[in-house]
Amino acid sequence: MRKLTENILDKISIDYLRNQVLKNAYGNDDTAIAKLDPRVLLIWYLFFGLVPWFLNDVILLLFLFLFVVATTRTARIAPLVLFLFCIGVFSQTGYLFIVALFFGGNAETIAPLLVMTLKVAIVSLASITVFSGLDPDRLANGLLWFGCPDQLSFSISFAYRILPVLMEEFQNILLSYRLRGNPPQKKTFFGKIRYLFYQIKMIIQSFYPLMLNTAKRSRTTVEALELKGYRYSLKNPQVKRLKLAMLKVTKGDYIFILISVCWAAASFGASALLGNVL
Amino acid sequence: MNPENKITQSQKMMVFVLSMSLYGLATLFTELIPSFQVGIVEFSVEYFLFIPLTLSMLFDPLSAALGAATGELVFSEIMLGQFGGLGELEKFLTVTIGVYIAGRLVKNPKNRKMVAAASILGVTIQQLMGCVVDILKVQFAVEDFEAVAGLPESVFFTEGFACLNDILFSGILFCMLPAVYLVPKLYGKIEPLLGMKPRDEKTVLGSENAISLKVVLLSLAGFVAAIGAELLASGGYELIDWEAAWAESTGAFITAIIVAAVVLLIAVGVIRNRAAGSKNAG
Repeated sequence: MRKLTENILDKISIDYLRNQVLKNAYGNDDTAIAKLDPRVLLIWYLFFGLVPWFLNDVILLLFLFLFVVATTRTARIAPLVLFLFCIGVFSQTGYLFIVALFFGGNAETIAPLLVMTLKVAIVSLASITVFSGLDPDRLANGLLWFGCPDQLSFSISFAYRILPVLMEEFQNILLSYRLRGNPPQKKTFFGKIRYLFYQIKMIIQSFYPLMLNTAKRSRTTVEALELKGYRYSLKNPQVKRLKLAMLKVTKGDYIFILISVCWAAASFGASALLGNVL
Repeated sequence: MNPENKITQSQKMMVFVLSMSLYGLATLFTELIPSFQVGIVEFSVEYFLFIPLTLSMLFDPLSAALGAATGELVFSEIMLGQFGGLGELEKFLTVTIGVYIAGRLVKNPKNRKMVAAASILGVTIQQLMGCVVDILKVQFAVEDFEAVAGLPESVFFTEGFACLNDILFSGILFCMLPAVYLVPKLYGKIEPLLGMKPRDEKTVLGSENAISLKVVLLSLAGFVAAIGAELLASGGYELIDWEAAWAESTGAFITAIIVAAVVLLIAVGVIRNRAAGSKNAG
């Protein structure tokens, strides 16, 4: 229990979280993945996010898995995100496997679960590559090009900009509560539980001022948007075209497409060959 | 302030932005704090659902609900690169439905009992829908679901338990109590900041009942869509089995490659054409 509270309190260090998230959002503009056209990457994601669900061949899935690992490496994803990915994959299937063992499963239960784990891993790594490797504004524009609702693309651009401000404000409020508060003793076991609940209560209480402040801020934001004719520009095709004029498919994109297609074809071939040999 | 107390379009947008940024921030934290397990019982800080619940009880429920769902999608899924494609639609819809219904139920935000009941109902609706979808998902996704020893029981058990656990633990601790604390406290203070009048029985729902037939039907349709999206996202086995009947498995794979390549080429062509078209037009 002690380890657990410490673990949680370690992770709640907001500075650490903020750094990681910001690093993930803004820290990798210069990678090969970030320079690609968002539309190409979204189509690429459509392939690597959908096709693995339809495949059952372990070798083929392994090859595809290697490829998405390579793209994830190229995109230089923040370690925290990769850590979350590992936890996510485990909690989806590994956990199920352990429970299945309790109910009388055996080693044969592994095979379908391994296939499923590989599928989940490929799809999530592909999504990490695309959504984490891309600059938020480029991602929003790419989605807009494919006809996603404008609210979504606005939300993405807005979220990346407001997040650092919000996090800092939340941290300040939390610190001021901490300064004024008198935390309970955490020497005994019950003291530790009480301390944990004290922390949770403080977090919830600090949402009260945060809500009021954010309400003010969102009013300012919306009024500024209105002044600039935001809702009018949503419906105007000329504005949209102007906005999307920055998207260009370049040589790098063609190379990326070529590599992906070749690798996919090669892995299909390899799995067919190996399947025959075995 | 307009005399009729109607909520204007830009005020809806304000509520949307407010709910999106707050709930997004909260889900970002929950995504980053690892949940801990004692045996099979999972104590996760899952879910600061009290934020959108509070906002939907004070403001326009639909904007708050949509804002919260979008916030979760953008902040915790897209920003952290955990976007699960079509599967995210399920969470989006269930959160929207749960928060929206809870928000509509509350006529007088000062009534703590009503706030408590509505918030726990909202959580229950959201969790139950999520639970049903999860069970269906595993049932369709793992081939020979019944044949894998111990799997069906374990899925029903873990999912049902997780659902109950979420409703009782997260629901009461992280949704009901904070909402009961926050809603009456914020009532009358936060509305003027957005240039609105506080909610009372006349201003909120107009002439409609809290739960009209339209709301129920729309929610049901949303739930069906959520199931469909989740199954589409994780299913697909039957399709392959069906194809394997007319072709050897390698043949089916090669067809799959060709189809995929053609789709890719067409997509690239469309990109180029549309780019060229817009250049000509502009």
